[in-house]
Amino acid sequence: MYEEPGCFEFDPNNSMAEGADSGFRRAVANSQKQFEENLKLSSEELCAMELELQKHMAFNVENCDNNTHMIQQVVDEPNQFHSFDHSNWNTGDIGFNQEDPQQNGHRSFNINSLPQTQDLLNLFHLPGSSLLPNSSISFANSNHDTTPLGFIGNLPASDSTSVLYDPLFHLNLPPEPPLFRELFQSIPQGYSLPTLRSGANSLFGDERDSSGVTAYQDGDGGMLEFTRDMACIVKGSETGKKKKPLTTERQRREHWTDKFTALRNLLPNPSKSDRASIVGDANEYINELLRTVNELKLLVEKKRCGRERSKRHKTEDDAAGDVENCNIRPLGDPEQSYNGSLRSSWLQRKSKDTEVDVRIIDDEVTIKLVQRKKIDCLLFVSKILDELQLDLHHVAGGHTGDYYSFLFNTKIYEGSSVYAGAIANKVIEVMDREYAAVPTTSSY
Amino acid sequence: MDYKSKNLVAERKRRKKLGDRLLNLRALVPRITNMKKETIIEDAINYIQELQENVKFLTGKLQLLEVEPFSEEEANPKREETNTVEDMKKCGIQENVEVSYMSGNKVQIKIIFEKKRGKFTKLLEAITSRGFQLSDTSMTSSKGATLFSSFAEVTYDGTLAVEETRKSLLQIVRSMPQLCKKLDPGDCCLGGAKLGLSELNTYL
Repeated sequence: MYEEPGCFEFDPNNSMAEGADSGFRRAVANSQKQFEENLKLSSEELCAMELELQKHMAFNVENCDNNTHMIQQVVDEPNQFHSFDHSNWNTGDIGFNQEDPQQNGHRSFNINSLPQTQDLLNLFHLPGSSLLPNSSISFANSNHDTTPLGFIGNLPASDSTSVLYDPLFHLNLPPEPPLFRELFQSIPQGYSLPTLRSGANSLFGDERDSSGVTAYQDGDGGMLEFTRDMACIVKGSETGKKKKPLTTERQRREHWTDKFTALRNLLPNPSKSDRASIVGDANEYINELLRTVNELKLLVEKKRCGRERSKRHKTEDDAAGDVENCNIRPLGDPEQSYNGSLRSSWLQRKSKDTEVDVRIIDDEVTIKLVQRKKIDCLLFVSKILDELQLDLHHVAGGHTGDYYSFLFNTKIYEGSSVYAGAIANKVIEVMDREYAAVPTTSSY
Repeated sequence: MDYKSKNLVAERKRRKKLGDRLLNLRALVPRITNMKKETIIEDAINYIQELQENVKFLTGKLQLLEVEPFSEEEANPKREETNTVEDMKKCGIQENVEVSYMSGNKVQIKIIFEKKRGKFTKLLEAITSRGFQLSDTSMTSSKGATLFSSFAEVTYDGTLAVEETRKSLLQIVRSMPQLCKKLDPGDCCLGGAKLGLSELNTYL
């Protein structure tokens, strides 16, 4: 019935020639017939019809050599739009203006403009309104450069398609489809619309590569997941499910940040609070803890076997029994095993005004201290060193800008089992206490 | 580069940085349940807590071992200290105090004294208690002697008499007892020191 060329209203000379062969025409015509039959249906069934049409179109279109890709895109699009709101608006393509079935049929086959990309885009135009803000969502990728969806309201500058708009104005199309616009505006910039098709198609292939579409700041899988969430919005009814994916996503993000905060609270020297720094500090802290554990193990063994040794010297008779107590020593002599494993340890502690770095190799301890505006620290540190049984061999101190820095070279007295963590913590503790006791003055 | 691609590159770099560090974390933690990013953080938290517990346990153990008296160790410090006197004599080092006037209220102090436990602390205490403020301090020890060198500034008004300063410092040095009291091993700080600063005054 609609085989006359009149139904292809703005059939430019080239449109059919480009790819849509007669087979396609027939296919279109067939579908059109179906359309007519279904025109009386209520708006709720539009979606189903469109799906059907889509199937038909897609199926028939596969026979065409050219522009199959484009056509599929076009076919996708109406579904997208229609699924948001079936009742309120009519697109140029498969519009179901029930007032005017005849002209519906006319309008519906703008699809014949498929071969030209620009005409494709006309399908979504809604007269008079610039629908969207500048969205980076693009729907056509084949021949022409991607054009954002925002153009939808704007007339594409194509001579061949200028004809399109005239007939449509005659129809009483609503000037703006508010829901459609709102929907687009409610989607944060750059999020792509899903397709009802299960597989990702080229539309998404474009979206993901463009910089405007960074859904998350974390998680590479986040993008995919979000689009799946959006698909939920589309598939389900608009009522309940819209909120659910957002909440889950937010929960997931908050849960994730909570874990980072928890990790940060375990660290001794938290500085920056961005995620990469937290993880970096955690790595260093784990290494530090491992060093401390090794150091302590060594000290415990040394202590224990040292005592065993002293007991042995006192009670010669029990020599055999005591040696067995030191069962960790495979060799006979406990002393020798220490020389094999050189004790080494290093850690840093920072507080608000003080920074201390303690390095221990064997029995030599090097302490570096940097702090602000405290001149008497030498005395306090010297006292600490006496407490900790460290023999001070060398000190050098200097004053640069705001900071006083000291380097202490000490040796551990025989028999002391001080470890690096103790030194650092003690120094920091005393420094902070002294800072608190003295109001900060810069003048001497 | 236009703005979009700059941003993209920066964002990619940022994500990569976080990813690399997370991989490092995963390599450090021995027990990982999952390969997901979130679980690695959880596993790391557990592991760190485990290590901290271990440190606490070992520290406690060490402290317990410390409490027991060890009598043989006491002989060693005495040996050390007698050696220092001999060393000094051998090299001809003598206790000495030098004070040189710099400018204004500043003097340079150089003190040579016998190296003994706790002597340096006492020297510092005495100097600061007389109102000197030290800057650019250095101390080194060799051959049983300690060389202390510093700038000192006095805060009280009045002319700074160099010779007086010198004499008082010499007095300080000579009054320091030769043998310092051996520190009680129980006071050794293993992280929770019970020795307060006031107890150090028992030296005198």
